[in-house]
Amino acid sequence: MSIVTVQLGQCGNQIGHEVFCCLCSDIRGTHGLCSKKENQSYQDACKERFFWEEESGVPVARAVLVDMEPKVISQTLSMAARSGCWKYNNQSHFCQKQGSGNNWANGYSVHGPRHKESIMDLVQREAERCDRLGGFFTIMSMAGGTGSGLGAFVTQCLRDAFPASFILNHVIWPYGTGEVIVQNYNSVLTLSHLYRSSDALLVHENDVIHKICAQLMNIKQISFRDVNQVIAHQLGSVFQPVHPAEGGSNYSRNPLGDLMETLVPHPEFKMLGLRNIPQIPENSLPYSTFSWPGLIKHLRQMLIANAQMEEGIDWQVRPPPPGSSTPSSHSTKKPLHFNTSIANLVILRGKDVHSVDLGSFQDPSLYTSWLKPQDAFNAWRTPRAFNKYEKSASLVSNSQFLLKPLDSVVGKAWNMFASKAYIHQYTKFGIEEEDFLDSFTTLEQVISSYTTL
Amino acid sequence: MAGSVLCPRAARTGGTSSGTSRDPGHPGRQAGSPQCSLPAGRRRRSGRDGRKGSAGRAGSGGGMRGRQRVQHQEHREHREYREHREYREHREHREHREHREHRERGRALSAAAGALCRALPPRARPAPDTLRRARFDRPQASLDFWRLLYALLKQIHGGKWTESDAIGNLPLWDRRNKGHNNQIGFVKSALWYHGYDRPELYQLPADGSAGSRELLLAFSWMLHRLDLLEQLLARNRVRTGDETSVCTCEDDLPNIQKGTPETTPECGLEDRVDVRYLQWLNGRLRFQWQSLHAQHQEQCKLLHKIHLFTSGSRVDQVLGHFSVTETDLVRQPENYKQLLQLLESETMQLEAFLEWKQLEPVYWQWMETVLDNMAEEGNMCKSQDTHVEKRRLPKLTSCCPWADNLTGQIDRLSRDLMTLQDQLHKLVAHRKAAWCEKVKAREEELQKEGFSATARKIQERVELKLLDLTRLCAPKKYKMHGLYRLVLRSEHPASKMGFGQCVSKEPVSAVSATEVIRELRMREASLQRELEQLREECRHRLDAIAEGLDGVICISP
Repeated sequence: MSIVTVQLGQCGNQIGHEVFCCLCSDIRGTHGLCSKKENQSYQDACKERFFWEEESGVPVARAVLVDMEPKVISQTLSMAARSGCWKYNNQSHFCQKQGSGNNWANGYSVHGPRHKESIMDLVQREAERCDRLGGFFTIMSMAGGTGSGLGAFVTQCLRDAFPASFILNHVIWPYGTGEVIVQNYNSVLTLSHLYRSSDALLVHENDVIHKICAQLMNIKQISFRDVNQVIAHQLGSVFQPVHPAEGGSNYSRNPLGDLMETLVPHPEFKMLGLRNIPQIPENSLPYSTFSWPGLIKHLRQMLIANAQMEEGIDWQVRPPPPGSSTPSSHSTKKPLHFNTSIANLVILRGKDVHSVDLGSFQDPSLYTSWLKPQDAFNAWRTPRAFNKYEKSASLVSNSQFLLKPLDSVVGKAWNMFASKAYIHQYTKFGIEEEDFLDSFTTLEQVISSYTTL
Repeated sequence: MAGSVLCPRAARTGGTSSGTSRDPGHPGRQAGSPQCSLPAGRRRRSGRDGRKGSAGRAGSGGGMRGRQRVQHQEHREHREYREHREYREHREHREHREHREHRERGRALSAAAGALCRALPPRARPAPDTLRRARFDRPQASLDFWRLLYALLKQIHGGKWTESDAIGNLPLWDRRNKGHNNQIGFVKSALWYHGYDRPELYQLPADGSAGSRELLLAFSWMLHRLDLLEQLLARNRVRTGDETSVCTCEDDLPNIQKGTPETTPECGLEDRVDVRYLQWLNGRLRFQWQSLHAQHQEQCKLLHKIHLFTSGSRVDQVLGHFSVTETDLVRQPENYKQLLQLLESETMQLEAFLEWKQLEPVYWQWMETVLDNMAEEGNMCKSQDTHVEKRRLPKLTSCCPWADNLTGQIDRLSRDLMTLQDQLHKLVAHRKAAWCEKVKAREEELQKEGFSATARKIQERVELKLLDLTRLCAPKKYKMHGLYRLVLRSEHPASKMGFGQCVSKEPVSAVSATEVIRELRMREASLQRELEQLREECRHRLDAIAEGLDGVICISP
């Protein structure tokens, strides 16, 4: 089954390109560390999922590229074609001559409806090419103009056109000290609209990835390309084929569906955070070895203490002792900084995965009171190593990871809104104050739901 | 020579060359002889007797008169003796025939029982002996019979066959085994659901130790009433892989597939469940449904590909392409053994079924005797059993908890329907009267302002509404339900794509896919309208509740 990727805006297109590069290099590599048969079915599954075969034999990515400016798209297309390993379909892109100037309302109310038909036409063609449509994966940034406004509109159109499909939005959280003044407005509007139409929001924070690049990967001059590559690696570790939770020798044919079912069935809790361990520079890889118990211990503490990477984890944070959480407990009863989860998914790739003990993740004190660990926790495994890492573990978590960033963004946006700053830019294009208020209430609801876990 | 040969007198008197010495003029001689006084049928024996008679005659002495008297007497004795012998031989012959018939019937019965057992599916196949033992109410047969009924009913209701259901899996002596009781409970509730009315069955002990004759009765009832064999044969056909299930019924009554007692969920013992957990489960259900939808679409797509790529492989008028099973066989010929086994087993069942159909009357006659026996015994012990089992329903609730609920609902429904009907009548009469008055009042006004135009508009609207109603109430031409086989047909041989047609398993009806799609779309539209209506109602109710709450702002999702 196949996933159709929709790359929106500059950010979306660049990240999307890196993702496909990463996937391609992973399946072509000889570092599988598993049997040939296993490797073969892994490759087949990945190819079916993300690519289709052209007559020349070059895999073509199942993607639709959307941007208001032609520059980024043409760059992306040419870079992909130059690689020789894969390429984009030359017809599956849509761009205009001019950008939307970081204006959310322009993207949502003007460009969206105007170009809806052409964009949806491209998407429809990609969807029909799939034997089995496994869902949509959209990549966008939250705070920019084109990506966010148009992206919110496109997600809505996707939901209208494919009511029974899975839609996963990958959202880039802007830098806290970002350059765009109205980025908080954009973020609030984007998030609230996405919450309505999509099934899950997978978030990557620019600040976090930046730190990973600086501290873990030892990159001196961090460029967007580095950030995007880290993001692509983390996404790849989630989306590459895995065996389903019940076991079985075939790779799962419903990745998005399985993901949704394990993590976001509740309509109020859709924010997903992603942690990946280990992250080390590529040239250090041959000299490093890891042990599963160590990796799992670090990953668990990253979850509990809301750490973003495996350095600088606060080991003092402990789960609350059993018996202290009652159904009506407030967050004050739990120790501060403790991250309560609703549901967690751990994905293990590499050597000896089947012997890994994940009992520490099934501790009921990690989870909220109304969900038992057997419902809340799932693990997927595959013996095939990913991207040259002999052992790697990823955690996709529906928890209070994003509570603080969300709270801060909403708070800042509200302060600006209270003084009506820059609102005219939006009302010019049809986004009224009412819409702002609606968005605020939606996000306040989300914040409060996550706070009272 | 010159005279006519045909003239008898001439022939007689004429001294012809034939020279007959026989005197045809004395026919009386033949008639007079004692041998000829007997009817023709006994002439053979009379020949023998005649010999005896003549011997006797030869042996008896005396004068002519005396000899004649003796002869007469002897003739009479002989006649009586003969008659006696004939009677005896007839009786023997009859007994012989009856005995033979009895043996034949016994053979026919065992043939019928054997055919019946062979026509049942492999997992639910009893030994013909079980039937015989049950007829005599042997307790050993009851357990086997419970298992048999369980297996049959489970198959009818489409249940999945699990490990614990295997016949013979449960030990005989483990009476308190939970699985045991669940199976018996299931059989009882299923029979009740189908309308089996005999209270003696429901009073049978739950450990399965007695009552094989009752079970035999129930089994035969099922055979007849539920078309058991036909259903099972239809269910167990070898699949072609091209089937799809279609249902255009408007039935939304819950069926037994969802309510089997053995699958009751073990909910937590706390009475309260967090509503968020329920929302979680609801969301999971929705996602699983979406995955199923995607899978189904994939299957359709691939099936279409198979049909398209293999069209032209057959010379048949109706079916021009391979089915999935056949295509699979072409790709992996070494799997033919399994398919062959399945087909052989099915053929054997079908042949047994045909045999059974011919021998069926024997079986039913036999069942009548069983019933007669039971009736006799019932009369004898009814005097002993003074308790009239009016408590049948409470007994049943133990094995089917929704039983009294269902009857209560039915009673309520019928009562509601009656009151509704009365109310409707009254309302209609009332409305009619009011409208007549209104119309009269308005008529004068409207006369002035173009009454005809408004009248026409009103008429059109009314017609539309009536059309809607009639469409809702009209009985459907055909209700499709069950498995149908998909056949790809091209309209013209030259065109690339055909439109898919459905051919049902019965050779009678073939339905085109476009018609089915149209029906389903109409049904979808009407369900959507209903959903909207229900949502509106919920919204109104929520608003009413929200107004009652102070200091609360309700945010709709």
